[in-house]
Amino acid sequence: MPRTPSLRSRLFYLVLFFCTCLVSPFQSYAQKPVDGTLGFVVRDWFTAIYNSRFVDECPEGLAVSNDEIWWRGLSKEDRARLTDNGLRSNLNRYPTAMRRGPNGENVCLNPTVVTDPPMNVVEGRYSYGVNLDGDIDGSATTKNCAHENFTHPDGTPGIDNQMYRLIGCVYGWRKGGLPELIAHERRGTSGLGMILIEVTGVEDARNDDNITVTFYRSIDQFALDGSGRPLPFSSYNIDMDGDGARYGDSLKGAIRNGVLTTVRGDVSLPFYGNYNFMHPVIKDMDLRLEIATEGTTADGLITGYYNVDRFLYYVGGMVGHTSAADSCPAMYRAAHELADGYPDPETGRCTHLSTAFEVSAYAAFIIHPKNNTRQTAR
Amino acid sequence: MRAVFALLLSFVLLVGCEQPEPPTDGSTPAMRRLSNEQYRNVITDVFGPHITVAGQADSLLRTEGLLALGAQTARITPSGFEKFYSMARSIAQQVVNEQNRSGQFQCEPASITEPDDSCAKQFFSDVGRLLYRRPPTTDELAIPVTAANDSAVSNGNFYAGIALGLAGMLTSPQFLFVIDTTEPDALGLSKWQLTSHAKAARLSFLLWNTTPNKMLLDAAEAGELDTQEGVDAHVDRMMASHRLEAGVRAFFTDFFRFEEFDTLEKDSIIYPAFSAQVIDDSKEQLLLTVLDLLMERKEDYRNLFTTKKTFLTGPLARVYRVPTSRPTGNAWEPYEFSQSDPRAGVLMQVGFAALASHPGRSSPTLRGMAIREAFLCQHIPSPPGDVDFSQFEDPESPDATAKDRLEAHSIEPACAGCHKIMDPIGLGLEQLDGSAQFRTTENETVIDASGELDGIPFEDGAGLGRVMSQNPATTACLANRLTEYALGRPLGAGDRNYMEYLEQKFADTGYRFPDLLRRIATSRALYAVSEPANNAGPLQGAATSATTLAIAESQP
Repeated sequence: MPRTPSLRSRLFYLVLFFCTCLVSPFQSYAQKPVDGTLGFVVRDWFTAIYNSRFVDECPEGLAVSNDEIWWRGLSKEDRARLTDNGLRSNLNRYPTAMRRGPNGENVCLNPTVVTDPPMNVVEGRYSYGVNLDGDIDGSATTKNCAHENFTHPDGTPGIDNQMYRLIGCVYGWRKGGLPELIAHERRGTSGLGMILIEVTGVEDARNDDNITVTFYRSIDQFALDGSGRPLPFSSYNIDMDGDGARYGDSLKGAIRNGVLTTVRGDVSLPFYGNYNFMHPVIKDMDLRLEIATEGTTADGLITGYYNVDRFLYYVGGMVGHTSAADSCPAMYRAAHELADGYPDPETGRCTHLSTAFEVSAYAAFIIHPKNNTRQTAR
Repeated sequence: MRAVFALLLSFVLLVGCEQPEPPTDGSTPAMRRLSNEQYRNVITDVFGPHITVAGQADSLLRTEGLLALGAQTARITPSGFEKFYSMARSIAQQVVNEQNRSGQFQCEPASITEPDDSCAKQFFSDVGRLLYRRPPTTDELAIPVTAANDSAVSNGNFYAGIALGLAGMLTSPQFLFVIDTTEPDALGLSKWQLTSHAKAARLSFLLWNTTPNKMLLDAAEAGELDTQEGVDAHVDRMMASHRLEAGVRAFFTDFFRFEEFDTLEKDSIIYPAFSAQVIDDSKEQLLLTVLDLLMERKEDYRNLFTTKKTFLTGPLARVYRVPTSRPTGNAWEPYEFSQSDPRAGVLMQVGFAALASHPGRSSPTLRGMAIREAFLCQHIPSPPGDVDFSQFEDPESPDATAKDRLEAHSIEPACAGCHKIMDPIGLGLEQLDGSAQFRTTENETVIDASGELDGIPFEDGAGLGRVMSQNPATTACLANRLTEYALGRPLGAGDRNYMEYLEQKFADTGYRFPDLLRRIATSRALYAVSEPANNAGPLQGAATSATTLAIAESQP
């Protein structure tokens, strides 16, 4: 027949060859994954923050912002000179306030050039997260620095979440704060920093004692509905670096009554937010994911130890410190003081912060390149 | 001995000879208005793809199951004429503008500020032959030439005059209507037949959905279409062309009732994956499936109802909830549903199942009716005016599934008669919701997708497809529809013998669509005419009036 169909035909049979080998075992609607695989794309990623109604966890008040510290340090004449006689908005005086180093350095990029007052941190009792170090009292061990533990709102003691302690009293970093919301929105529209979770070796989607969970990155766009919500069962290609996936760390795990849990391990994850990339390795990471009965969505918690320097690098380079209302030098100092994991063998100072992230995900097909294609949603 | 010899001879003749095509009563000569797609195709073919057709003519009215049959009764209203005239002016201006004119003219005017009778005649003669699908008569040619010359004088611009004359030509009945001109049958098989030019037009619109090109017009004028061998040769040539795809697409666009997509809406809250892009893609998915199965792989038409092979884009894959390596954009890739996947056949594609549904829910009734009418060529009467939908649409209904709710129709005498021939079919597709997304439950109750078609039971949508593929009406319907589409008229009692012959031939060739199409295109029936037509007279008068009107309205 026609010329165009002939071309299409050749393409059809070429792709069909792969489809026959790789896609034909796919089944879009099966109670059990035909090839033993489930797939999810992470949409929501928020630091687990416990906010009390009256900010009781911050008895000294919220942390003082960079703008406030800068303002306090100015004479009346300088305030008038640098702010158009007080008429310049916070947003417009942000660049000036940020360059308050002794030689005009940007203090977020050079947080040690000034010494800010100690940052107000969380002193409350409760936090989300898990007991990462296995102890209740938070005393120092070979793997941990001494720290104060939290109690989970459900009463579980020994919760380690020094990240929350660090940022929980910073206005913009509290729950619903702009930096995380803007990062969330930007990830949704750009597809940057998209995390894929592939669960393989699944015989029973609700109960299976031996599964493998692999974390990939995709640089495809989120498939969204008219309301901006992700559409489940969309396909996402794995971001490749040559022949291998750019990210692809795996953890062993199990599914019990629809709740997926993993054993702990070090996992490299992509992260993007506020126009800044970060590539953290979360040490001792685990994932707890509650999969909805129909398998369309899943919600859960990722916990582990977050590298202090990687976090501060992200904070220093991000856009939005005005809305964050933080102070990089104060946060830099506090972060190193609060770090509770992985002591440096030479200095003895801890290099990681215990942390917890709330995540939600949608069922997805994770597309492996060429003959590695694998169906990953039930 | 002689008797045995005669018997053997008869046997050899029966086996060796092709059964002759039964005669038909022939078609009454008619004028068929160009469809929007045909109009665009003709403009592209005559003036080039860079000429934009801005606007849409009034839609044709679906008649006896086909829009193509509505073309025969289509009339151009004053507002409809304004649309054609607006498009014509725009096209004419584009054709003569400085960027485009070089490829449109075989001559150069002596001066662009003055009329050039010779060049204008040549232009309108060349273009008119393609637009009118025959050489314009002297009188027909005189109208645009005179208008062009007069306008060139008053405007001081040769090309402005050409544009005026061309706009008139593009709004003339000779262009907007495909006119059956007739002559005595040269072979004497019937009393009258279409003229060679009318044959060329019928052939070209059937196979390529556009006006005859120069080669076909030359053939017509050389008498090549007056012999069966000549027709056969040109049909084979045209069917070997890549342009056949346009013709096949046009037929199945009509057959699948694609105009209903224009008003298709879905509730985005209920069906978030269903978007405007999905609507466009679902039409193309149906056509690609048809083209691949029927034309590329030349499979049995009945396999269309059971095939697992199709083509997908990212947006469609999300509705089907299957993987695709091209999740973004609208790139197509082949896809084959696994044998264990419940989907099979075009009835379970979005383009059918979502179209025959309500904005927020599925409809076994609509789906059953669409199957009966579109694929089995059966007519379902309109529902009575006083039908009570409350029981079926009651949100408080204790009946969880559509099957339970439709029971109401079976006990309501006014409804039962029709619903019993629609609902049991449509229920087979109940595992597809209103957006054609697969489901196994409705209101937390397991869906029973079993049903029956003309007494043949099935278990689910795929089973419905298998039953459809075995139903004799399925193949007969396609043969009937394609014949009606080709002839441009509904079939009548006088066509019965021919249709029995055609359906038998369709079966003999394994229900291969290209064979059916070729057989129709080369048939005597396609060109047979029932009675002589008046080729001139009122028609010429109408043409002159319309052209004159168009030109008069353009005068500064």
